[in-house]
Amino acid sequence: MNLLPLTAKELEYIADSMSNEDLMIKQCTAGAAICTNPQIQQVLNHQAQVHTQHYQSLLQCLQMHQSLAPTQPQS
Amino acid sequence: MNASANFLPDEDLAYTVLSDLKRVTREYATAATESNCPSIRQHFTQLLNTSLAMQGELYTAMSQQKMYNTASPALRQEIDKQMKEYQNTQQKTNQFVQQRKTMAQGQQAQYANWNNQQQWQQPQWQQQQPQWQQQQQQQQWQQPTHFAQHQQDPRHQQPGHFM
Repeated sequence: MNLLPLTAKELEYIADSMSNEDLMIKQCTAGAAICTNPQIQQVLNHQAQVHTQHYQSLLQCLQMHQSLAPTQPQS
Repeated sequence: MNASANFLPDEDLAYTVLSDLKRVTREYATAATESNCPSIRQHFTQLLNTSLAMQGELYTAMSQQKMYNTASPALRQEIDKQMKEYQNTQQKTNQFVQQRKTMAQGQQAQYANWNNQQQWQQPQWQQQQPQWQQQQQQQQWQQPTHFAQHQQDPRHQQPGHFM
């Protein structure tokens, strides 16, 4: 797949998404720990894992675009 | 276990996660629509789909556990009212579309005619205009099928089709 350098906007969205996913990991994990309903608990435990994967994939996405980014501001 | 019940009831806890999932889903949709790099767009689209599925999963679990009050069903007469109104709208829009199409065709014919008459004094690039207009007409006629194909395409996350 052809990669283009990240725009400032894309970088902002990726960063915001990582902070969203981070919050969801914490929320699901803490929620599963105090939840008394087994079905909800199971869903939360599973989703904590998925959010962790999302976070990791966003981080990898940044890594992939690292080398394409210019070091000087472009006019 | 008792202390946790005091901390936050199960349904409030699940509801908090659910509303955050709704927010995250919306933000992925926005991010995907505003991406420039095709691979970034595809990535956001994948995250959008997964988040949407997770929101559905949690909602289903909550509704099975009777944690979510489903809204009362809409009345038959309300549905009838909306249906009538929007069938009317659809009819009017169809008329509008047909009118604009015949108008455009009429104009094209007129221009072609006018160009033919004036051909003796037209510079060469303008003489080619009727041909170009024919092409445009063909394109216009192909557009509906094209659009339908796009809508039926299951790979709607295909990247870069807007590039």
